[in-house]
Amino acid sequence: MADTGHGADAALRIKALESLLVEKQLIDPKALDAVVELYEHKIGPRNGAKVVARAWVDPDYRKRLLADGTAAIAELGFSGVQGEDMIVVENTPEVHNMVVCTLCSCYPWPTLGLPPVWYKAAPYRARSVIDPRGVLAEFGVEVPETVEVRVWDSNAELRYLVLPMRPAGTEGMTEEQLAALVTRDSMIGTGVPMAA
Amino acid sequence: MPAALTPEIVPGLVAGGASTKIAEDIAPKFKHGDKVRARNINPTTHTRLPRYVRGKVGTVVHDHGVFVFNDSNAHGKGTHPQHVYNVRFTAQELWGPDAPSRDTLHIDMFESYIEPA
Repeated sequence: MADTGHGADAALRIKALESLLVEKQLIDPKALDAVVELYEHKIGPRNGAKVVARAWVDPDYRKRLLADGTAAIAELGFSGVQGEDMIVVENTPEVHNMVVCTLCSCYPWPTLGLPPVWYKAAPYRARSVIDPRGVLAEFGVEVPETVEVRVWDSNAELRYLVLPMRPAGTEGMTEEQLAALVTRDSMIGTGVPMAA
Repeated sequence: MPAALTPEIVPGLVAGGASTKIAEDIAPKFKHGDKVRARNINPTTHTRLPRYVRGKVGTVVHDHGVFVFNDSNAHGKGTHPQHVYNVRFTAQELWGPDAPSRDTLHIDMFESYIEPA
């Protein structure tokens, strides 16, 4: 397994790379600050939560989302790097979906932000395909034997977002209240939305 | 000389992205429902074909359209555009008879990765 890079070594490497790129006039350091600002404050799982909540309250939007994820997500203003070609997969009483990238760390950035460390780690990537139910159990998700566990390996250029099932007892809730129930992990498939 | 990447162009670049899907009219070799085998090839360079599917038989469930082929493009050896298919494998095909009978794995296969089964 390659060094995934953490701690002081990674920090040094990043500093060295940044210095080189700036010296060669490939980047303006302020451009890096702008990228960091975007991913710290604007692009993250609250975007995906808005998509999910909209799909829960608007059946036509749900249909568009499942038919053309990229276009439907763009309707809410989310698009771009690592979300250029999106597929949305829907959990149902018969199917529980779960997303992994076994080759590296492919993840739908516009809707979920940058991937958590565990998503990029070798154990999650290896075990999600051979023992998804074991991994799900460790995340506290028990999937009955009568339900199909469907793993999506985002190995190529498609990026996947799970549309979790709307929790029971949320009939009277607003779209905004519903979005607050949608967790990051529920959109990866390693969790379920919070209860109402 | 200004740097290539400046703060002004960051938001547009991030929101625009860079899809590797291309509008080339290439006839697909496979269609929904076709049985296919992931080829047992072992490139020593960049590939998007994980070992665990090589030699295994699955079913085409979707044609995503035409994409740039990562394996060649990563090495500057051309885009070799081709169809990418979503292929469904049963957990038992991948991992043997002890795997749960209902469970499945879906993965995206460049046309070069698969052959009729």
